Amino acid sequence: MPSSLSRPLRVAVTGLGVVSPLGWGAEQTRAALRQGRDCVSEVTDFDVAGCRSHTAGRVDTAEGPELQRVPHREALHPASKMMVAATRDALGEKSAQPEAMVIGTTSGGMGYGEAFYRAQLERRPNRRRAGWLANYLPQKPALDAQRECGFSAPIDIIANACASGTNALGHAFGLIRSGQARAVLCGGYDVISELVFVGFDSLQAATPEKIRPFDKDRTGLVLGEGAAMFMLESWDAARERGAEILAEITGYGISTDNHHLTQPHPSGIGPLQAMRRALSSAGRQPEEVDYVNAHGTATTFNDATEGAAIAELFGTRAAVSSTKSMMGHALGAAGAIEAAFCMLALQDGFLPPNINLQELDPSLRIDLIANQTRAGECQVAISNSFGFGGTNAAIVIERPSFSS
Amino acid sequence: MTVRIAGMGWVTPLGAGLEEVWERLLAGHVAEPKTIQNPETGRMHQYLAAPAKACERLARHPRLRRSSAISLYAASAAFDALADAGVEMTPATAERTAVVFAISSGGVVYTRRFYEQIVKQGPSGASPLLFPETVYNAPASHLAALLGVDGASYTLVGDGAVGLRAVRFAQQLLASGEVDRCIVAGAEEIDWILCEAYGDWRLLTNHPAAAVFPERPRGAILAEGAAALVLAREGGRAEISEIHTGVSFSSRAEAAAAVDRVCGELVAPEAQAVISSANGTFVDELEAQAIARHSPRAEVYAPKASLGEALGAGAIMQLAIGALSLRGRLPSTPRDQSAGPTRLRVTRDPQATLPLESVLVLSTGWNQQACGARLAAVD
Repeated sequence: MPSSLSRPLRVAVTGLGVVSPLGWGAEQTRAALRQGRDCVSEVTDFDVAGCRSHTAGRVDTAEGPELQRVPHREALHPASKMMVAATRDALGEKSAQPEAMVIGTTSGGMGYGEAFYRAQLERRPNRRRAGWLANYLPQKPALDAQRECGFSAPIDIIANACASGTNALGHAFGLIRSGQARAVLCGGYDVISELVFVGFDSLQAATPEKIRPFDKDRTGLVLGEGAAMFMLESWDAARERGAEILAEITGYGISTDNHHLTQPHPSGIGPLQAMRRALSSAGRQPEEVDYVNAHGTATTFNDATEGAAIAELFGTRAAVSSTKSMMGHALGAAGAIEAAFCMLALQDGFLPPNINLQELDPSLRIDLIANQTRAGECQVAISNSFGFGGTNAAIVIERPSFSS
Repeated sequence: MTVRIAGMGWVTPLGAGLEEVWERLLAGHVAEPKTIQNPETGRMHQYLAAPAKACERLARHPRLRRSSAISLYAASAAFDALADAGVEMTPATAERTAVVFAISSGGVVYTRRFYEQIVKQGPSGASPLLFPETVYNAPASHLAALLGVDGASYTLVGDGAVGLRAVRFAQQLLASGEVDRCIVAGAEEIDWILCEAYGDWRLLTNHPAAAVFPERPRGAILAEGAAALVLAREGGRAEISEIHTGVSFSSRAEAAAAVDRVCGELVAPEAQAVISSANGTFVDELEAQAIARHSPRAEVYAPKASLGEALGAGAIMQLAIGALSLRGRLPSTPRDQSAGPTRLRVTRDPQATLPLESVLVLSTGWNQQACGARLAAVD
């Protein structure tokens, strides 16, 4: 924290936009979350015949109602469509002016890179190639969102694999909290591509079955996609301008597990460190946490190590679910989308379920929200995201409290 | 908050040692291009290769045995920067150290190879050994593992100006008080698909050297390599006294205003020297106009005429050059490669001693952003 600040600033979330297989916008998302809707479907836009997995959580980018107001929507990248809609919702009607944009993603516009490569095989000029290249760049959807929403701000694209979305929120949180910025737009996006789909399949991390996080017989993940964006402001500035405060971010933790590029250390030290650091940053004790939105990919290794870390830190005091069970793993967008899920659940007083569960892994002593939404007030949530490269991130999200 | 450059390291097409490359730049050396072929079309491209021997010491490290060249370049540059800073990585040091990585294309060789296997052999022929190295943060992950950093590690992706964004990101981490030092590294490797891509955008030349500040831009030459800085709050050999927040742009028309704004907001008081990111493309004219308008008396050095366009590593190389030039000498922009416009004082005499107190680094990307930083000598 800069020496000019005697104490860290509180960080308010004053805008939220989310697009995921659960729906376009907060209302559709909230309804699907409450229902515990399974939004995973067959992949049809590239050939998956040779893959173990044939399903994913897809977003219909032709249908987004928000896009009816976007003039150039036919020409936009699917990720840009989602980013435009999420950014527009996060900005709302009377937003603060964002000073910076911090975005998480893993693969940018990989689908366009794939088209470019295939065009090389055709050995003939293709006038669309330049356009594919423009959309390949990870910064393009953020630039499109700025153009369509009528603002300009410096952009940082964080590509920390599947922790990217949480890292983006965490860094934006740090900027506001330390007084280095007053208003930051942050979030994440990712769109499924053939390369990434086959990549997870080649690692045998993807499942031919339903995604069953924390299940005794879990067989792996399915991929998902989407985008979520947030406006973060200092609490006092938000209050002064009369903004509605949707949630408060109170803590962020990051750790790097140096065990292996794709596998977590079996001890669960990486997730444990990230969660401990987030709680310490929030000034919270583990027993104060009501809900854990787990990374919960349903891979053997992730769920074993994360489950052990959650059990060690929270025991069975905090309720746990992996919302990936409803929509798959949205990679660099996952952390941002799951933070949005936490905020909607905190607002409405329900805890989203971990669907498709048949039997909880008996080695995990956690309070899993099995299959059915759980009603109940919740004050403090923590959301986990872990990624290739051993990158781990956790963020603490709270219902806004106006008493202190 | 100002930050200090405590150590520097690089792997460039002109070599790998900090002083070795600096002397070669002062002597006006220009890296020799190699060629790479698109096996599908037979089309040839040229690029500037990093010297293979620069990474030999790390190639057998268990963590890097299967990694792509980009990770080797980055690790080599980072180890040199730490040695230059006199930092020994102990568990206590590592705990207060962050890694911030700048990348534009990333592990493009493994990415292209992995997708090639999918297309030509089907999904069952795609090697699971390649896929993990395709993620943007693989080089940063390897570096963090080699250094024992178990805290903050971030990879930022962007265009050729992303290196300055990474430095600003590191400054933000240092200002938050969460870490005591940041290793900022940028790295790139070259593949034929990358040359095809930028070639399609008409940004590359097949002339044997890039001409900077020409009458008519004929294109850049892509380069591979890495650069790394150790940043801290105090000590060090140069101060980054100001880093511009950066300006985003969506088109070349917007880019001119972006560069002008960055330059205009950084030059007061007027810069004595500018390390330009001119690379033989439209960038040159944008920066020439901005420098001529805001700092017409500054000596201008354009290192990409010698080192090529190293994208994610490029701006960090420029910062290192800026810090080295504060010693009082500025390399010449290669005379026979440059059609330097008369309105700029493009550097010509590397033997002249310049009592530089402040140097401006300008970095203009091809697709997203303009950034800049001001460097000052440390007493």
